[in-house]
Amino acid sequence: MRQVALKTVHELARRDSRVVFVGSDLGAGTLNEMKEELPNQFFMEGISEQHLIGFAAGLAKEGFIPYVNTIANFFTRRAFEQIAVDVALHDLPVRLLANGGGMVYAPLGPTHTAIEDLSLMSTIPKMRIFAPGDANEMRALIYISLSDPRPWYVRFGKGGEPIFSSEIQETPAAPKVFGHSKGEILILTTGILIHESLSAIEILRKENSLNVTVIHFPEFTDLSQSTWSKLYKEAGVVIVAEEHIPAGGLFSKVLRIAWQEKWDIKKLIHRSLPFRYLHNYGSQKDHLKAHGLDAIGLVECVRANRGL
Amino acid sequence: MKQRSLHRKALTFPLPERSKSLRERLLSVTEIGGRGHIGPALSILEIIDVVYRKVMNSTLIKNQSPMRDRFLLSKGHGCLGLYVVLEDLGLLANLDLDSYCRYESAFGGHPESTTVPVIEFSTGSLGHGLSVGVGMAKAAKMRNESWRVFVLLGDGELNEGSIWEAAAHASKHKLDNLTVIVDFNNMQASGQVNEVLDMDPLNEKWKAFGFETIEINGHDERVIEESLRKPSTSSTPRCVIAYTIKGKGIAQAENSSIWHHKAKISSEEIEVLRAELRK
Repeated sequence: MRQVALKTVHELARRDSRVVFVGSDLGAGTLNEMKEELPNQFFMEGISEQHLIGFAAGLAKEGFIPYVNTIANFFTRRAFEQIAVDVALHDLPVRLLANGGGMVYAPLGPTHTAIEDLSLMSTIPKMRIFAPGDANEMRALIYISLSDPRPWYVRFGKGGEPIFSSEIQETPAAPKVFGHSKGEILILTTGILIHESLSAIEILRKENSLNVTVIHFPEFTDLSQSTWSKLYKEAGVVIVAEEHIPAGGLFSKVLRIAWQEKWDIKKLIHRSLPFRYLHNYGSQKDHLKAHGLDAIGLVECVRANRGL
Repeated sequence: MKQRSLHRKALTFPLPERSKSLRERLLSVTEIGGRGHIGPALSILEIIDVVYRKVMNSTLIKNQSPMRDRFLLSKGHGCLGLYVVLEDLGLLANLDLDSYCRYESAFGGHPESTTVPVIEFSTGSLGHGLSVGVGMAKAAKMRNESWRVFVLLGDGELNEGSIWEAAAHASKHKLDNLTVIVDFNNMQASGQVNEVLDMDPLNEKWKAFGFETIEINGHDERVIEESLRKPSTSSTPRCVIAYTIKGKGIAQAENSSIWHHKAKISSEEIEVLRAELRK
């Protein structure tokens, strides 16, 4: 996913001289081709995230479109104020490309995992927030970012995720619906959990003959409820699955919408990461499993709810 | 030693009539809002006045020409000084500075570019302006344009680590179109800068970060102008360390922590300051 995103930035930079890439200290070989081909649009600036955001804001104020890349937490925790003040307050088209969303960096511990990033970015007016589920969606989103005047935060998965979306997407930010067209079970999710949710659909259909619908939100900013309100109302149970803490994540958003719209919230349940520092290591997969967010966990959640 | 001697010069430097009249206006505006950072605004008044009146082309600024020089008040709390200079030069369009700090006003306790378009960038939280200025100066270089960027920092603001991140990058990119001005009034909110967090040797610090440095009396228009206009002799950014007096020109406010920031300022208090200004 990250490779595709950065390659797409390179393609955009080739077409549009306003596009610049700004990295922190991302390791040898990052976008080497762009560095060689377009050295004036490529900046590898060192471990100084607060400065990088201000620098990008200054460039954007003068008409450039900076794509800044570092680890998610170093944006959302370390440079939060620069993002809020230098970028969003000035409504500048800076794109924050965030490596290692969720538990991707599980082996590196709680300084590197990003389990409240969507929540933090949601507190910033004007910020558009994305959590694509595969490389196709990522590519399509980066393409449309070129013409969007607002700031963006894009959460990256680990990379190598299976492809579930089409190569050409006219509206890549819009919610995508999978599974049964009118499922008795509705799963709402964002980011890479779409893959666990799609597996869960199959297991529940084959083993329990249950009809499940999954909605994936590549854009987290606004959930465009008009596209799924009918599915929510008709489902017997709605499960929000998120690789994120409950506060300020997808569950919070869905709950608020359901409350505002006066939908039935008794049928709403969630599977989230716990609100604590996670001191286990292992892999992202291990953590999804431990917190009931892998396909089996979601299946068990549905079965328990249905008394199966 | 040079620092002490320049501070002494700054303290005793007689203000010209123009400086006094800008200060009078600053006091009137403060009286309207009933609050403000008077001390930090008075230390930078001559610097801002010279930058806008003598160094940058104010016609280009008025027309918002892309070729205008950019000025960023990174120590945003000194905005009263910026407001009165912009007003005096007719750069505020139809915005009314007499509304300062009122609910509907464009002018608050920190400068905002969204409400006052001639202001280049909103500031307030310290340690942001230099990075933004580095980005702007780099943009000018990338387009081979000759406009310059001036960033005014407070001495207390130098406590922020982000300033030094930005300084290293300014030097890396050889931004000789970037000039940092440090308002060295030697006072921050809690007391003397060298007691709260001593940044000495300041001149050597900026030099070590790759800057050409100049130390001046920050209330003397002639040397301010000279230091900012001086042609660049190398491809390095410049840092002008301006020794100033917090509250300059009003004895009660000079070197006073009380007048760093004050809320609920009464008309009687303003009257006392006004009388001291004219002593």
